[in-house]
Amino acid sequence: MECKNRNIVASICMAALSGMAYAGNTVQDIAIPSITSPYTHGGKSYMLTSNDAGAARKQASAAPAIQAAEFEPPIFSGSNAHKYLGLGTLALVIATAIAPKPPEVEDRAPTQAEIDAQKSSTHAKLGRAAAAMAAATVTTGLLAHWGDFHLEDGWADPDNMHAMLGTAGALAMLYAVSKAPGGGHAGMGLAGGVAMGVAVKLTW
Amino acid sequence: MMKNKLKAIALLACALSMHGAYAEAEENFVLWLLNFERTKEVKPVTNKQYQDECGACHFAYQPGLLPARSWEKLLNVEALRDHFGDNAEMDKDTMRAIHDYAVENAADKSFYKRSRKIAVATENGPAPLRIIELRYIERKHHDIPERMIKGNQGVKSLSYCNKCHTQAAKGVFDADTVSIPNYPKWDD
Repeated sequence: MECKNRNIVASICMAALSGMAYAGNTVQDIAIPSITSPYTHGGKSYMLTSNDAGAARKQASAAPAIQAAEFEPPIFSGSNAHKYLGLGTLALVIATAIAPKPPEVEDRAPTQAEIDAQKSSTHAKLGRAAAAMAAATVTTGLLAHWGDFHLEDGWADPDNMHAMLGTAGALAMLYAVSKAPGGGHAGMGLAGGVAMGVAVKLTW
Repeated sequence: MMKNKLKAIALLACALSMHGAYAEAEENFVLWLLNFERTKEVKPVTNKQYQDECGACHFAYQPGLLPARSWEKLLNVEALRDHFGDNAEMDKDTMRAIHDYAVENAADKSFYKRSRKIAVATENGPAPLRIIELRYIERKHHDIPERMIKGNQGVKSLSYCNKCHTQAAKGVFDADTVSIPNYPKWDD
């Protein structure tokens, strides 16, 4: 498969995965109301469908019988998925920058073997992974934090800046990957990484 | 290879030096920029006098929830005589200490993200006196049906932040830490 196609497929897979993470987080609770459910307000119309032995004796005015349990924030949520994907992207950007690269050929056109070696290098693989993860980060951000993005708050709003810089950074990384191993892709990739880093810092 | 090792060591050294900047982060933009500690929410109340005096009657709202000019209006002798319908007068020294703490840690003087959002949103117009009337706060809560707030014996009003925001005392107000009393399954 062509390198570019692989990038696109990887990005789609990551985006789909992040979408599933969001969907899993927002799954609807379709439990049938019981006699003590606050949603029914203890209504008598539900009593006939309740199998509670003492249901008929309970009064409609009874207060909801939900015990306050110790609340624990969810470990897996759309917001957390976005956070860890973003941090993972930054880690991959740094790894890409310091990973060994095959020597560049400047005085002549590279041979097919040299091009293949460049495309299969650790640097290239990490770069593709970083761009794919950046796309997934933006996708989860849009899904989990769409309500935090309001243009009426102005460009100085930290969430607005975070969204714009993050998206620009992801696009720059994808562009850099599509241009690699050609000259100039390093600057674009680095700019994308810095934009994402600043975006993370603004809302960290 | 040697060059790559040097790069990695430089990055590690940079990271370690950045971490040490945390203590001063709230005072200085550069130090805030260089520290890794989370400042996503609102700075928790760190002043015992503020916590005790305000917390005696209601949730001790973090100063970062309103801009300084709002605290100036709220924390003076005249305003405290009629503090949203109650007399909250206190001796001058206590009031001065609470006033100074609130103003010094107000939204427009904080680097915490949620405070910065509030500061940007309240830059223009009159100083807001009620946190729940901030456009930003209203918008964050507009999806919640009235029966879950006013009609909910466990909440009663948006003013009681800590009824649903389980980590409000730590200054954390994000959606993952919300649990509405009597509606534990609700999710926006």
